[in-house]
Amino acid sequence: MQGSGTHMLDSLQSLISSSRGARYVEARHQSRSMTDVNFVNGELERIRVVENSGCGIRVLVDGCWGFSSTSNDTSFDALKESLGQAIAAARALAKTKKNRVQGLAESKMVKGTFRLKVRGSLSDVDIEQKVQVTREAEKAARKHSKAVRAASCVYHEMLDHKLIVNSDGAEVEIYDSKPEFSVTAIAKKAGQSATAHEGVGITGGWDDLFGAKSQFDYAAAASERAAKLLEAKHAKGEKTTIILDPGMVGLLSHEAIGHTVEADFVLSGSVVKGRIGEKVASELVTLVDSGRSDLADNAAGTIMVDDEGVAAERTAIIENGILKSFLHNRESAMTFGTASTGNARAFQYNDEPLIRMRNTFIEPRSDRLDDMIKETRHGYLVKGARNGQADANGEFMFGAEEAYLIENGEIRELMRGASISGNAFDALLSVDMVGDKFQYDIGTGYCGKYQPAKVDGGGPYVRCTAVIGGLQ
Amino acid sequence: MLDVLRYAIKEAEAQGADDAEAYAAVSAESEVFIENNDLKQAKSQAISSIGIRVLLNGSLGFYSVNRLSKDDVKGAVSMAIKVARVSPKDRYNSLPSRSKVRLLRGIYDRKAESFEASDAAGLAAEMLQAAKSYDNRVSVDSGNLASAVATHALANSNGTELKERISTFSWSIMGMAIEGSNVSSFDFQSGGSHFVKDIDARRASVEFAETVVNSLGPQRITSFRGEMLLTPSAVSELVEEVISHSINSDTVQKKSSQFAGKLGKKVSSELLAVEDDATNTEGLGAASFDREGVPHRRNVVIEKGVLKKFLYNTYTARKDGVRSTGNAGGSTSSPPSVSATNFIIRPGRSSLNALVSEMENGIIISRFSGNVNPVNGDFSGVVKGGRLVKNGEIKHAVKEVMMAGNVFDALRHLTGVSREQKAIFDSILPYMRFDNVSFTAG
Repeated sequence: MQGSGTHMLDSLQSLISSSRGARYVEARHQSRSMTDVNFVNGELERIRVVENSGCGIRVLVDGCWGFSSTSNDTSFDALKESLGQAIAAARALAKTKKNRVQGLAESKMVKGTFRLKVRGSLSDVDIEQKVQVTREAEKAARKHSKAVRAASCVYHEMLDHKLIVNSDGAEVEIYDSKPEFSVTAIAKKAGQSATAHEGVGITGGWDDLFGAKSQFDYAAAASERAAKLLEAKHAKGEKTTIILDPGMVGLLSHEAIGHTVEADFVLSGSVVKGRIGEKVASELVTLVDSGRSDLADNAAGTIMVDDEGVAAERTAIIENGILKSFLHNRESAMTFGTASTGNARAFQYNDEPLIRMRNTFIEPRSDRLDDMIKETRHGYLVKGARNGQADANGEFMFGAEEAYLIENGEIRELMRGASISGNAFDALLSVDMVGDKFQYDIGTGYCGKYQPAKVDGGGPYVRCTAVIGGLQ
Repeated sequence: MLDVLRYAIKEAEAQGADDAEAYAAVSAESEVFIENNDLKQAKSQAISSIGIRVLLNGSLGFYSVNRLSKDDVKGAVSMAIKVARVSPKDRYNSLPSRSKVRLLRGIYDRKAESFEASDAAGLAAEMLQAAKSYDNRVSVDSGNLASAVATHALANSNGTELKERISTFSWSIMGMAIEGSNVSSFDFQSGGSHFVKDIDARRASVEFAETVVNSLGPQRITSFRGEMLLTPSAVSELVEEVISHSINSDTVQKKSSQFAGKLGKKVSSELLAVEDDATNTEGLGAASFDREGVPHRRNVVIEKGVLKKFLYNTYTARKDGVRSTGNAGGSTSSPPSVSATNFIIRPGRSSLNALVSEMENGIIISRFSGNVNPVNGDFSGVVKGGRLVKNGEIKHAVKEVMMAGNVFDALRHLTGVSREQKAIFDSILPYMRFDNVSFTAG
């Protein structure tokens, strides 16, 4: 993306070595190019290409964090001035801040260049093709099923080139590529409507995005499902056996469990505070957050190295039902007397790194989906994670696009979108079957916590007990 | 700055664009964050960005870059043209013609130029102090105090050249009160100003502290149907989103607005008057011209409950054969959308005290947590920081109560609007009282 990578790296290095009086200095240069194409009902709703680049500098001075950023001018002099502002900002806090940052946990600092693997570089695909694919899929979704009256399709890509240098020795260069594609179909009849979504968000290239399925496959699937849902009845509200699909497992792992174990939330009193080593889930549950694309390729939350220069490896949050670890950056790791888990992430050059998740999932076991259904006397198989909310105490409510009624070991009928709710830890304690096939499936989503972050999640099919409700 | 914009327009025309627009913003910002009852971090940043919109045979191209050198701008122009060449034609694409803009006064404070991170840190510390010293049971979860001095400028191939400088200060505080195992509802308060002398962050802190302390020790109530009195924050969560969605010409044209086809008709009780007014300098949305250079004006949207007008940008106006209302919104990194500027619900005649004392049986609601569907107006969720009122007297805080209904129905049952108003960023809102609301005890 930028030919001047080496030059900028040198510049950041000299900047770091020139700083005086700061206990820690971190400089990150990031160039991002973003393309959005969106068609709605045959019309172009939005098209834009946005290029953002700049340098963010973070310092720890007298136990206080200061941050500054600059974009227009990234000459050495401008960076020095920006560093001066970051230090001044930190000193400004030092007068009134009560509890100083105790320090940063020792971590092995990464050095090296990382190119996240892609098939078919996005920058080699002409924008004309991106427009065409989006336009065709939107049209196909409307044409595929008679009942579908409205449709939309979104293509979005984010290409990043990052340099991360800090005074503890990190020196990292990362090339990243995260495209996503999704089709929405709305079926309507006599005052009723049903919506279905089909999409994918990954770390990878054009051929990874459309390798297994074409734009027409996504469109057809969304269109067919919307038409089917329009004819479906509503599920009855009850607490019962629920089989969650990989997307729902990912959403539960991220929203309802993952946030409660972010160390900054733990410090402000989340439900898992002081519970490391305790049994919080069925022994069948091993719940992981990883910066790598473990178990399956192209997970959207893959980062390899975090924005503090720490390798972003596999962190087992829950292992065989026992709470093992929180998610840390170097500051929280110091507070908890442990090591950073590589969860410090910043969205753009002008965002400061915060504790964020990456790919969050439950690991597969040995049950086959067929057996899980066969061994369910009464319950539901729910698919298609929709938006949801979760509280700091683990209470959650998520939408599912499809719910299939199961009676006496057999799938009966498709029901309309339902909500699944309960307490996440209770739900995990009730897990009695865990599937054998793994999949990531929430890669089109963003997680919001002051700033966005691209995350993913998934798992195998998982059987548990929760409350299914009517339409949200 | 205008030089760069002129250069962009000339370059776009030379590269074959029929029409071109360049919109740029340059700002210096500083911000101090509060977390967990302490100052967390101070931040200062210099931001600059330009968005180039070109029209070529009726097709739109858009490219944005956050560097303003001639080379970067030239590159951005050729990319915008490349995008236009692959976009479908749309006969409503056009740029506004040049019009006279009178620059607003009262949105730029020279003193803001010397406002630094240390000033922000001092004020943020005062905010914390004010909340904690109001009552030691108050716990501040997070907050911030931010300042920005921004220059925005626009030029287009119809000869428009505009530039103005705006200073803004904004602050917020959120958290709860804790007494043993008794934790109050969350509350969030905020404020904003254009002038250093008008920064009154203490007031938001005290209001936050008062609200969370008042919601301690809630009592269970039984389900009932009665009145709800919404504070300005709750008005913004429950009412504003639905109205501003419904008066947007874009949603009207896409048939996702309940107000489609209702111009000149009654959409609420006579007590409701809504306007969109970027010339009101009390709101942080104040500016002289919109995202495509159309002068801002005061738009009366609802008067005595009757729908008077929708909000338009140039594109949606052309679709309906009307004139833009100056509501092109968005930043330099997107083509113009349609959006409200300062959303204002006009004050009523009653004092807040009178609104409370007239209540027979109802709940004062500080916040609403739940879902509001802006298309059909349905809402369902939980009352936060609710206080029960019986025969004109505030009795006690109530345990979380479910509330469900429809905003459009509620507007027909609006029974009172307060004289008192509160500016919340780019909204200016009163207290509003409604009748016939059903509350379900948990």
